[in-house]
Amino acid sequence: MSSTSVYPTPINAFKQSKRSVLSVIVDNEPGILARIVGLFSGRGYNIEALNVTVVDVKKNLSRITIETLGEEKVISQIIAQLEKLVPVHSATNLANLSESYEAEICLVKIEFENEEQDQKILNFADIYRSRTVQKRQNIVVYEISGTSERINKFLDDLDTIGGIKVELVRSGPIGLGI
Amino acid sequence: MNNENEFTGADILLKALKDQEVDTIFGYPGGAVLPIYDAIFGQNFLKHVLVRQEAGAVHAAEGYARSSGKVGVLLVTSGPGVTNVVTGLTDALMDSIPIVCISGQVPSHLIGTDAFQECDTTGITRPCTKHNYLVKDVNKLSETIHEAFKIASSGRPGPVLIDIPKDVQFAKSKYISKKDISFREHRIKAGSKNVDKNFVKELVNHIKKSERPIFYVGGGCLNSGHQASQELIKLVNKTNIPITTTLHGLGCFPGEDKSSLGMLGMHGNYEANLAMNKCDLMINVGARFDDRVTGRLDAFSPDSIKFHIDIDQSSINKNVKVNFHTNTDITLTLKEINLFIDSNNIDFGDKDYDNWWGQINEWRKKECLHYEQGDEVIKPQHAISRLYELTKQKDTFVTTEVGQHQMWAAQYYKFSKPNRWITSGGLGTMGFGMPAAVGAQMANPDSLVIDIAGEASFLMNIQEIATAVQYKLPIKIFILNNEYMGMVRQWQELLHGSRYSESYVDALPDFKKLAESFNAVGVRAKNIAELDDTINEMISIDRPVIADIWVDKKENCFPMIPSGAAHHEMLLSKYDKENPENQEKGKVLV
Repeated sequence: MSSTSVYPTPINAFKQSKRSVLSVIVDNEPGILARIVGLFSGRGYNIEALNVTVVDVKKNLSRITIETLGEEKVISQIIAQLEKLVPVHSATNLANLSESYEAEICLVKIEFENEEQDQKILNFADIYRSRTVQKRQNIVVYEISGTSERINKFLDDLDTIGGIKVELVRSGPIGLGI
Repeated sequence: MNNENEFTGADILLKALKDQEVDTIFGYPGGAVLPIYDAIFGQNFLKHVLVRQEAGAVHAAEGYARSSGKVGVLLVTSGPGVTNVVTGLTDALMDSIPIVCISGQVPSHLIGTDAFQECDTTGITRPCTKHNYLVKDVNKLSETIHEAFKIASSGRPGPVLIDIPKDVQFAKSKYISKKDISFREHRIKAGSKNVDKNFVKELVNHIKKSERPIFYVGGGCLNSGHQASQELIKLVNKTNIPITTTLHGLGCFPGEDKSSLGMLGMHGNYEANLAMNKCDLMINVGARFDDRVTGRLDAFSPDSIKFHIDIDQSSINKNVKVNFHTNTDITLTLKEINLFIDSNNIDFGDKDYDNWWGQINEWRKKECLHYEQGDEVIKPQHAISRLYELTKQKDTFVTTEVGQHQMWAAQYYKFSKPNRWITSGGLGTMGFGMPAAVGAQMANPDSLVIDIAGEASFLMNIQEIATAVQYKLPIKIFILNNEYMGMVRQWQELLHGSRYSESYVDALPDFKKLAESFNAVGVRAKNIAELDDTINEMISIDRPVIADIWVDKKENCFPMIPSGAAHHEMLLSKYDKENPENQEKGKVLV
């Protein structure tokens, strides 16, 4: 199991758990997010990451992307439960599509103290093709996007540099089937 | 603006209710619904039943809905008015009962200010309704009400709540009638109308091949309508397949028919549970593999091919994995199965399942519902048996509270038609039965309506006896009085070393005097000699009656699959002992 979670989950509790990314199209109306989040907490499912945005202003639709962990049986049950909610048009497990693409965006602020650290950071930033958002004397802000796994690796690599201070924000994965 | 085509929100609500052919509403007034009550005052199509506490309104609406097949409607005020119906909404959600709850809310500009009698109604009721609304714009009110009724009664039915702020009840708009609204399909979720032909073919083929088939029928069959029952009876008669029903399925198939094995599950019949355990083909018609039914899952019907008809796709493979399923309405599917059998001239005549029926008849010989009635103390089972015998000629509706009496009612009272049996199954709500009887009697004014009760449950909503008296509803409350929360006591006896912690109901009222103080009638049977006369007297009185039946205080409800045990590990009487290993595991379950 790749650890893509911002909240690491004890492995034992989810032996056969698989990471799944669900894409849910909903009517954009008050309470819809509460309905979905309530469904997850009420039935004991996990939300590893969540993203909500209006995607069609005319039809008043939002797309909600949820990263969750669970056995296949649990994921099917989550989908069935989601599709029972009145404002939900469809709920899809991206893994079940023949072709789908996933991306996440991450902003990282790094405070460093010396030239050596700066060089190492620059090196990793280059390898992962991250975009420089802002650079000051001892602070740099990068934007990196790609799969969650790729972002994890970037962050792991940064972790190997001692003495720097990292603050970050991640959008959670979003995905689209073809 | 004084446009004659415009109406206040309160009037729009009433117009919509009329449009939806609602003739009865259960409710309790309060500050945030006064404009609606004012509108009710000035009309005469809608009969308002004033309950004594909002919990009574929601259970009455459930009783009304279950006994009539229509949507039950209730009206409550903001804050405590609506928090009092949370239990009933949850009950209706668990048991798939179509009800619409209208609640008042503080005026829009006060929402969020912790105003008097304000609460986050949609927040509190979100997990206990099928859907809910807060209507902030009077222009959306008509559409919202019509959609609410559609959602409550479509697909797998359930409770829907509409929260209307007081200013919206005063604000004016045009009324849009039901026929002018086009519903959006994805919101209604009515289930597929197309019968899965392949499912039908596979099912008939499997019936032909099987040696030990069984029908397992649940409340979904009831919700699909009377025709579902008719089609089911046809199919059972054609195939000679034994049929067992869940608690809510009782009445979908005649209980006294030779093909009926009665109820299955925790307190179900021995032959029904054994047949479920040993069958090679299980046909689930609108049941949800509830834990009260399946017993221990890893030992549930290990050798069967399972077919599942359920309009709710989340019921499929939730607890038990099935081999074939369809989400099309039960009536449509059963009809197609019958048609397929007829049009292909499939004759099951040579497939009488003789061996299977032989085996079932062996299990029947255990007489799992046997009890010993002495000559003095009334056995609760006997009280129900006599009640059945003395009322079966009438078209009787039975509601129950929750506990031992409920299980005895399910075991000993036989139902031949759907919608005659109204009980709280999924949630197990004590205090359900009496208000539900009020609702059932409102829907069926000329029928005999009996609430089979325990004294502890009855006390939970006792105030509603005043409602029955006010509206001259001649409901009968048949209390099996054993002075204990009987089911709690039974579990304490079986699992907690007979330490009867807080299950004795001390300081009980004198139910006869209590009835009289409410201007109802009280009758009592203290021993077996008085039982039949008391029942007959109760039936003959055309007013609300409380019958206080003193029964054996220590009787337990058998047969029983203890929690954590499997179907074939039933206890038939107090002399059967449970496997101690199961007992330890079962103790932590419910």
